[in-house]
Amino acid sequence: MTRILVVDDEANIRLLYSQELADEGYEVVTAASAAEATEKLRENDFQLMVLDIKLKNESGLDLLKEVVKERQQMPVILCSAFSYYKEDFSAWLADSYVVKSSDLQELKDEIRHVLAKRAPRPQSGA
Amino acid sequence: MDWKCCWSRNEITADECIGVAAGEESLLHAQRRRITEKCLDCPRFRDDMERAAAEGNPLAELAAHLRGEYLAQREQLQSIAGFLDTQTREITFLHELSLVLQTSMDLDEVLSVALTAITAGKGFGMNRAFLLMVDKDRRYLQGYLGVGPRNAEEAWHTWQEIDHSNLSLREMATHFHRNKLATERMKFREVLDNLVVFLNDEDHIFNRAMRSRKAMLVEDAFTNPDLDPELAVLLGVDRFLLMPLISGNRRIGLIIADNCITHKPITPHDMQSMEIFAFPVAFALVRASLYERLQEEVQKLTAANAKLREQQELIVRMEKMALMGKITSSIAHSIRNPLLVIGGFARSLLRNVGGDDPKRVSLESIVSEAKQLERVLEEVLNYSDSLYPVRDWWDVTQLVDYVCQELAEPLAQHRIRCDFIPEERIPHAFVDYKQTTYCVRTVLHTAMARSREGGTIRIALRHEGDWITLEIADNGPSMSDAERDALLMPFATTQQLGGSVGMPLCRVMLEKQGCALEIDKPPGGGALFLIHLPAIQEEV
Repeated sequence: MTRILVVDDEANIRLLYSQELADEGYEVVTAASAAEATEKLRENDFQLMVLDIKLKNESGLDLLKEVVKERQQMPVILCSAFSYYKEDFSAWLADSYVVKSSDLQELKDEIRHVLAKRAPRPQSGA
Repeated sequence: MDWKCCWSRNEITADECIGVAAGEESLLHAQRRRITEKCLDCPRFRDDMERAAAEGNPLAELAAHLRGEYLAQREQLQSIAGFLDTQTREITFLHELSLVLQTSMDLDEVLSVALTAITAGKGFGMNRAFLLMVDKDRRYLQGYLGVGPRNAEEAWHTWQEIDHSNLSLREMATHFHRNKLATERMKFREVLDNLVVFLNDEDHIFNRAMRSRKAMLVEDAFTNPDLDPELAVLLGVDRFLLMPLISGNRRIGLIIADNCITHKPITPHDMQSMEIFAFPVAFALVRASLYERLQEEVQKLTAANAKLREQQELIVRMEKMALMGKITSSIAHSIRNPLLVIGGFARSLLRNVGGDDPKRVSLESIVSEAKQLERVLEEVLNYSDSLYPVRDWWDVTQLVDYVCQELAEPLAQHRIRCDFIPEERIPHAFVDYKQTTYCVRTVLHTAMARSREGGTIRIALRHEGDWITLEIADNGPSMSDAERDALLMPFATTQQLGGSVGMPLCRVMLEKQGCALEIDKPPGGGALFLIHLPAIQEEV
């Protein structure tokens, strides 16, 4: 089962994402801060991370830099209430950028799209 | 002795003296006055004196001598009185002239006064005068104005007119300034255009006259070796006067005056009077020129001041908008997350509720309201995101066409026709494509919301100079000034459209790009939205 790490400082959002993505057939693990996320990343393998940018006193973009450096195989989708971070160079390191909305369809579509892109290509039968 | 003349009698009757005319009856009783005024010129008195001499009267010879001396003295006295009279008239004229020159700040008025004074019979009585002025860069002397008749017929007509009008110098100058200045300028255009002399051409007679700082009489102009023969041909006279206009050490100009019609000689006295006259004229010309330049500078300063005030107002408005943008952005973000949670869970619950469950309606309401709030938040956030446009060259015709196609469906739903008529060859505009598309879409939405069902929205694209103007006209109700202002103020509510940031956001976005949004109220009703886009690249 595809395991997704959701990082957001809002408990209700974590809960919502967990339920919605679980309904889509993913195994969802959540983290409320960058430190907690780093710990979870050490403990488990994840196929994808959904990362909020504004995390109380931290920046999701700093965590993104670390993740990109250490876990190049794992795609990251930035999910923020702020659309202007799209213009931030650091945000370009992520595989995708989704502006938060009560309609999670766009997020779900992006997750599918990114996972499909990152999935290993089937070996040709030589 | 029986005297024929009445000189010896104290009182006489009118028929006793042939010299006393009607109106001079007081002389009949004034013997001494009668003798000096009448008898000394009377043939009867001369006869009496001759007869007395013939009879050996020794006083007769003395009387003849005294009579001769007296007449000579009287003639001299009359000559002096005539001279004094001329001088008085000249002083009065110069006084009147200087009063006019002192009070006038208008260059053309000063010139009108000066040239009228030279050519009017009440002034110097010259037939014609030309004024040459030194240019602003002080490189050359150029013909500026000419006054006078072109031929004898015109001269006769003009002088008759002046005689009958009996105007004072000032009145004549005012009349000339108001009614004749432009035509006189045109009349002598050809002569004036050819009267150009460089100030560094030191040998030219005009420059020599200015160096001498005195009036100069030029005679035998057609044969004078010191003179350019073309000048004599141009003026068409053999004799003329050059009067330099100097103020301090500054060369102001030169007056050429002549008697091209009457050919009356120009006397040393004329030249002397002209020299006296030249000083106040030169002074008045300098002052009028300075005043004119001062006015120009004042106008420039006034325009700069107005521009500055406009910029200040713009900055204040932008600052208010920016502050409002920051506040709204902050509030919007604080609302977004809770809204996401409410709407998100409502959607989640809705998926698991059956079609006949009574909770479904409530959940659908939550989802719908959350969606509406998110749309408003998106607008608010766009408002604060509009700070840094990325401008490039874009085809506006294509842009507008794209927006029209995008809105085809809602327009059709409201049975509103949209006529887009672009001018041919509209150049590309230097704008942020995304923001401009948003603005055109928003304005079109507004026009649609205002339009009556079955109405038409007319869109035109015009190019003029450095600007491309997009006109969007709806057929909605007429708009008051307050409604129009409210439409451009964030969250101000209008009766028809409700509170929104769409249009104010458009204005901010367009202004940031060096564009402009205007709302006009056509006399026939409806609203006309004008978006001005730059067709040239400029610093913003």
